[in-house]
Amino acid sequence: MIFFLQDMMRRTFRNMMGNLFSNLITIGIIAISMLIFSTFTLLAYNLTNFFNLWEDKIEVIAYLKRGTPSSEVEALLSKTRLLEGVETLRYVSPYDAMDFMEMKLGRQKNLLEGIQPAVLPASLEIQLKKEYRNSTKIKEVVAQLKKIPQFEEIQYGQEWVETFSVLIHILRLTQWILGGLLLIAIVFITSHTLQLTISSRREEIEVMQWMGASPAFIRVPFYVEGLIQGLLGGGLAILFLFLLHQGLFFNLPPSIQAWLAKIPVLFLPAKTTVWILLGGMILGFFGSIVASMRVLQYK
Amino acid sequence: MIEAIIQMQHVFKTYPSQISALSDVTLEIFPGEFTFIAGPSGSGKSTLLRILYCSEKPTSGEVIVHGMHITQPGFKKIYQLRQAMGIVSQDFKLLKDRTVTENITFALEVTGHPREEAKWKALEILRHLGLEERESDSIFSLSAGEQQRVAIARALVNSPSLLLADEPTGNLDAKMTLRVMDILTDLHQKGSTIVFATQFTGLIKRYSYRVIQILNGQILDGRKADTNKIHQG
Ligand SMILES: Nc1ncnc2c1ncn2[C@@H]1O[C@H](COP(=O)(O)OP(=O)(O)OP(=O)(O)O)[C@@H](O)[C@H]1O
Ligand SMILES: [Mg+2]
Repeated sequence: MIFFLQDMMRRTFRNMMGNLFSNLITIGIIAISMLIFSTFTLLAYNLTNFFNLWEDKIEVIAYLKRGTPSSEVEALLSKTRLLEGVETLRYVSPYDAMDFMEMKLGRQKNLLEGIQPAVLPASLEIQLKKEYRNSTKIKEVVAQLKKIPQFEEIQYGQEWVETFSVLIHILRLTQWILGGLLLIAIVFITSHTLQLTISSRREEIEVMQWMGASPAFIRVPFYVEGLIQGLLGGGLAILFLFLLHQGLFFNLPPSIQAWLAKIPVLFLPAKTTVWILLGGMILGFFGSIVASMRVLQYK
Repeated sequence: MIEAIIQMQHVFKTYPSQISALSDVTLEIFPGEFTFIAGPSGSGKSTLLRILYCSEKPTSGEVIVHGMHITQPGFKKIYQLRQAMGIVSQDFKLLKDRTVTENITFALEVTGHPREEAKWKALEILRHLGLEERESDSIFSLSAGEQQRVAIARALVNSPSLLLADEPTGNLDAKMTLRVMDILTDLHQKGSTIVFATQFTGLIKRYSYRVIQILNGQILDGRKADTNKIHQG
């Protein structure tokens, strides 16, 4: 068995060295294809990640109608607290709102001079339970809140939620359409290269068939070659993506870097990386099967 | 009753060029027989052998070798068939850029023999065929007769129970021809079946082995199978 494996590896290596140029081209093309695919994966991954972080902080603000008597506030609070999906809530009185605005404006707080706290609406800041912090579930809570007559307006950044969801969907869709196209391209190119390798070994294969070598014995080195091409291609793609991810970040202007520092720009998780490598190998393997079906018939 | 090791029934072969190479060939060869396939150039000897080792499909007819129905559509075990035989083809089929020894060990390695064993066996057979001094020369540098001996050595290295040899002495001088014949006789005496295609009637006359005459793709009468001489099993 050890002998068999050694022999297979030796033959594979010799085949690849004998056909070095087209092997390198193939690996390069696989790497580029996989790089395009994994770039989209990375973008979608980060955007999803960012979206999730942001969703996590999502809260609903319900503004009370002006002139709602403070005697009703207590009842309103307990009513809201009982709603499905509500975790905690905080009452923000017009005075609190005023303080908050003063704090935010800092040195420019003189802008607020002459404004009476009473003109600001009171509001409820509602924190949702974890499983309600997403674009579909949040709408259920909002619908409930809208039924309460004391609320004037409900805000939760709806435009953002929708734009983000659409963007992520488009990215994911592009990722998979591209993925599909590149998949075909990779199978095509590996099978093409392997046909070259196989035809450069035609004489030897013929003699092997002459001597009664089993089809598996003849084919395995070509399968291994496909696997190696896929693995190296996938590996290079990940390496480039990593460099791109690093380089891009450090070459950005400092202002954007500072802004980005607040949002983590992550690299692909280990699991995805392994999947990309595996994917490359599977595609390479597939390419070699296509090739050997076409040109490795026993004669 | 002894089961034939080779059976051909009403075999026809017409090449795409409309040349009819075999027509209605029916024959049986029994285990342990030494059989000459004799006929002039172009009579269809090589075609017949190629059909036996499955390198060519007959246009019609049935062929059974080693109990395998090799003409049946979907027959997939060509490699098992070939592992059970040694083949010397008219064009040698050697790897020209490898050495003599490499060519022989290659044959053993691809059927799963460890390299050391292969090397040792190769040297032994090369000595028999007077090639021990050329063992590390590449095939390119050998004469046609030397190449032919390498091809014979390669076919014999597995001690095959069935040897199909297509004009194996065609390029050899008288002395070497005798040497090869001695080796084949030895193999035959150990129980192997040998099918030997040749156009040299002089060679055939020296031996009392069975002869199947072929002319224009048709079998003529020859020395019939001598069932007394056939080895059992
Ligand atoms: N691949 C082929 N395509 C077309 N015709 C062929 C092919 N091989 C052989 N033939 C023809 O079939 C006939 C028989 O050829 P074959 O090679 O079997 O003869 P042979 O008895 O082996 O001759 P030789 O003694 O010269 O080797 C010949 O007329 C030959 O031209
Ligand atoms: Mg011939």
